[in-house]
Amino acid sequence: MDKNQIIENLGNILTPSRVNTDSEDLYDASADRYKKYAKVRRVLDVPVPAAIVYPGSAQEVSQVLAFCNEHGLNVIPRAGKTATEGGLENWKDNTIVLDARHLDKILNIDFYNMQATVQAGVPLQELEDALRKQGFTTGHSPQSKPVAKFGGLVATRSIGQFSTLYGGIEDMVVGLECVFPDGHISRIKNVARRAGGPDIRHIVIGNEGSLCYITEVTVKIFRYYPENNRFTGYLVKDMETGIKVLREVMVNGFSPSVARVYSEEDAAQHFFHFHKNRCVLLFMAEGPEGIVQATCQAIEAAAKKFKAGIIEQVDDTLIADWFNNLNWSQKDIDDEFEAMKENDSHSGFTTEISGDWETIPKIYHNVIQRIRKEYPRAHDLTMLGGHSSHSYINGTNMYFVYNYRILCAPEDEMRVYHHPLQRIIVEETLKLGGSMCHHHGIGKFRNEWTMDEHGSAYYMLEKLKQAFDPKGIMNFGTIYPQKEGEIQNKPGPVITGRQRAMAHAVPSRLLLSCLKRLGVRDNEKGCERTRGYPIGMKIICVVKFVPDVDSMVCDVENNTLSGKNARIMHESG
Amino acid sequence: MNPDDVCALAFALGVKAADPDCVVEVVSLGPLSVRPHMEDLLRLAVDRGTLISDPVFEGSDTLVTSEILGRYIATRPFDCLLTGSRSLDGGTGHVPVQLAETLGLDQMSGIIRIDPHQFDSTRAVFDVADEKSVTTYEMAMPCVLSVTRESGYKLPYVTLTNMRRDVSDELVIITNQDLGFSETRVGPAGSLTQVVHRCPKTYEKKDRHIVGIDEKGISFVFHFLQQKGFL
Amino acid sequence: MKNDMKKTCIFQDTEKTENTADLLEVAQRIYGQGQFESYAVLLADSCDGLQGAFDHIIQVAQGLVNAYDPRGICDILENLHKKHTFDSILIPGTSMGQMIAPRLSKRLRTGLAAGVIDINRQKDHVDIIRPACSGKIRESVLLTGNGPVMMSIRPNAFAYTPGTPLQTVVTSYTEPVRSPGAVKRLHVKENQQTCDIRDSEVLIAGGGGVKESFAELYRLADALKGTVAASRKLVDQGIAPRSIQVGQSGKTVSPKLYMALGIHGSMQHLAGLRQIASLISVNTSINAPVCSLSDIVVQGDARKFIDRLLKKIAVYRS
Repeated sequence: MDKNQIIENLGNILTPSRVNTDSEDLYDASADRYKKYAKVRRVLDVPVPAAIVYPGSAQEVSQVLAFCNEHGLNVIPRAGKTATEGGLENWKDNTIVLDARHLDKILNIDFYNMQATVQAGVPLQELEDALRKQGFTTGHSPQSKPVAKFGGLVATRSIGQFSTLYGGIEDMVVGLECVFPDGHISRIKNVARRAGGPDIRHIVIGNEGSLCYITEVTVKIFRYYPENNRFTGYLVKDMETGIKVLREVMVNGFSPSVARVYSEEDAAQHFFHFHKNRCVLLFMAEGPEGIVQATCQAIEAAAKKFKAGIIEQVDDTLIADWFNNLNWSQKDIDDEFEAMKENDSHSGFTTEISGDWETIPKIYHNVIQRIRKEYPRAHDLTMLGGHSSHSYINGTNMYFVYNYRILCAPEDEMRVYHHPLQRIIVEETLKLGGSMCHHHGIGKFRNEWTMDEHGSAYYMLEKLKQAFDPKGIMNFGTIYPQKEGEIQNKPGPVITGRQRAMAHAVPSRLLLSCLKRLGVRDNEKGCERTRGYPIGMKIICVVKFVPDVDSMVCDVENNTLSGKNARIMHESG
Repeated sequence: MNPDDVCALAFALGVKAADPDCVVEVVSLGPLSVRPHMEDLLRLAVDRGTLISDPVFEGSDTLVTSEILGRYIATRPFDCLLTGSRSLDGGTGHVPVQLAETLGLDQMSGIIRIDPHQFDSTRAVFDVADEKSVTTYEMAMPCVLSVTRESGYKLPYVTLTNMRRDVSDELVIITNQDLGFSETRVGPAGSLTQVVHRCPKTYEKKDRHIVGIDEKGISFVFHFLQQKGFL
Repeated sequence: MKNDMKKTCIFQDTEKTENTADLLEVAQRIYGQGQFESYAVLLADSCDGLQGAFDHIIQVAQGLVNAYDPRGICDILENLHKKHTFDSILIPGTSMGQMIAPRLSKRLRTGLAAGVIDINRQKDHVDIIRPACSGKIRESVLLTGNGPVMMSIRPNAFAYTPGTPLQTVVTSYTEPVRSPGAVKRLHVKENQQTCDIRDSEVLIAGGGGVKESFAELYRLADALKGTVAASRKLVDQGIAPRSIQVGQSGKTVSPKLYMALGIHGSMQHLAGLRQIASLISVNTSINAPVCSLSDIVVQGDARKFIDRLLKKIAVYRS
């Protein structure tokens, strides 16, 4: 089916006005903030989708999905467009973007049962504003709050700045409605709790559009006590101290809504007016007065316990003020775009991981050391640091933040800078048993590690895909490493799994000679899995290997590749 | 590299792009740690990179710096020396001037444009901007032309293949063994301008006065404006 | 005149001739009032305003050297130094001065303090102070070497108060320049009067806090001979044009005075501020980040502030 036929058919299913083929909108829809810089510089290397479609009901979603499923068209579900990990990037020619723009109604706010039901395209800010008027809150406040919409928030397992008190979106969702590729509409009912088999909400929450399309969500709501908000901040001598204080507060059974520690470098870009080149530790307590008081006392006690590492307390009004100006609005995003047009720079990238209390400081240390030591463009880094911003009783997250002078062509930026940095972070995290994605989702650029992330449990994840999306039409490339035959048909950019990042750093001939020396041959049959990955317009090579990928190690420096079952099936360019 | 220097190099590479016979050499005085930055320049179209580096040179003032640079550059063939006008942090901008004096050349700072059609081995025509005007000068070669970031000359991007190219052999390292300065003549010992004390400027935070919109507050602002010459 | 009198040579820049006498304040701070003999070296043919302020005025004969030829000018100063053996040579830190001073210091092989902003006389030495690191640091500089003390002086850093008029001796310098520079001025184009906020020394900037009274800012800007700028908030709301936006996505400005009215001071906004000499913020919240960078924080409503300050200025001017 060609693009014109797709557009015509979609126009018949919905109405032509619900099918957007504006070239600028399609260009915009072909990538998300992951390739923000290449996008602004107009050098995106991915195909544009055929159309953006705006269904108005679950039935319409069902019809569109069934049509796509029948004809094998790739579908990218989309809501607020704030994705940062390639989840909205398009890797196929025949793709439609299913946008929740017209699923925009708040269906019910139930103050007695403390829950609100919205359609997938309702902006979080809109529900939050409606609740605030009545003295309530969603408790959900990601930095993207002014722009993000419920469909995306649930699909990506998003988390907000107050998560340490209210939890992530997975703790808030009561029930939902979603549509599967075959057109089936499922409604998960709203109950306080049940033991009716596995909690199937979690098949949907965090599926990143790779299993189904979310049309409706019911979330918990909370009473809002802004008058009780209290902020506390300290300058601390290192990250370890900060993390120890966070842990102390958490394990003693308190839940501040915000509990964060920033490295010196990261603190400098957030708290320029008081950081004094130190790590910054800060808390916000909210809720009923008695709880806030008790929480603040616990924070003080924890700080006292580790006073050797605490340099000074910060004026709490400075923290309050900073917090009230933290969110990114659409205008901030547009602004960054304008700036990227003019300058060879952007506002940086992040990679967020998580681990237990014991592991996080080790991961942080290992990552920073390894980047400084082995990253070939370390001298272009203008900033490298991180913060812990979401804590749990058993651990916390680490948000690595980095920025750099971009000295390469815009289309090479990710390959030269972000990819290799992210690779180090993910590898070091997985090595120590942490999770490579704390809250942005896997998207398309961490999919090569999905199996490493889940280990033997990947079996379950894989079965979900087979069961709900057997034809693989949902968000090609997201979460799931690709199987044989699913690699983009277009001539071009494919290289596999673990070798991807390495290929960024070494000449392709080196990679090929490595493989050849190890007797890796062309077109071997009987391989189970190929992991595809686009890295530009040149094919370097495609390697197939069986699932036992852990045993594949590329040692770039010694020009060797060790591993079993690796096969080159194609090479050119 | 500071932005002014980047513009100077970008102009040179522009000339080279139009005239393949043009040879561009980058000379820098600094610690060995700037090596990766110098190597990046070689991955552009720069023909030769020279890093003058020796522990005895560290801590040299601008005059000594220009003498060190001058001694090396005097051994090289060139038609024109391009430099940045100033360093990033609003530094003194002395080095290009003193380098020109060391080599007995003319020099001009604050250049915002060099006419590529009137730039050859005999003369250069260029524009210098100040607050009130833009002045066009003609200067005989060889000379030192110091470009500002306002010129907007941009370096080409390093291609991905070039970025991985090993250029470590192409970087020439010059030490005092090559230049033969007496150790008392360079570094802090040889410098005639020495920084004896540094302290952070204190107006940030410390001097901040908080006033209200009453007679006292308005008077305070008024006198501040008056004292600073804004009234 | 006493024999142990120090001799200071002050070069008059052709750009800002009216500031020449201010450099006498520098000499006074080094040597003490009346403890030195002053020489002004002029390229201009008029010595208005300098008669009585200097002991000597040396007028360079017309046509001897071009005002834009630092090499030629250095020749003259070098010659004069040979003749008079100055203890100090002071040169204004203008764009031409910054090409003359370093060259002369190299020629005389003497130390040079650049962009001096302050002089403190101590018991046994003189602290020469200059800004470093974009003005964040104050450096004390020590000059060694046998030559004269050389400084370039940041414009407007010193102000001279005239004392008892001196008996000024005016002489003419006529010795031909041995090695003039091979530089020709082809033409000069005066800048058109544009109100680019980057060119303005005084910026009156408004943010979200003045969206109701943005027009008032123009009155204040007029009174202070400044230009109005805006934060992104006002640009977004269509209250101010994008061309006057300060910040990451707007312009980077370095005025001498930045008055931030109702501006919160997000990172993005502050990214557009570089090397601002004086910052006054007017804000209802004194905890806004911009306030922590301010010399003066005025707590309160910007509109009221403008009204009252304008009244005060009007009274002063009448």
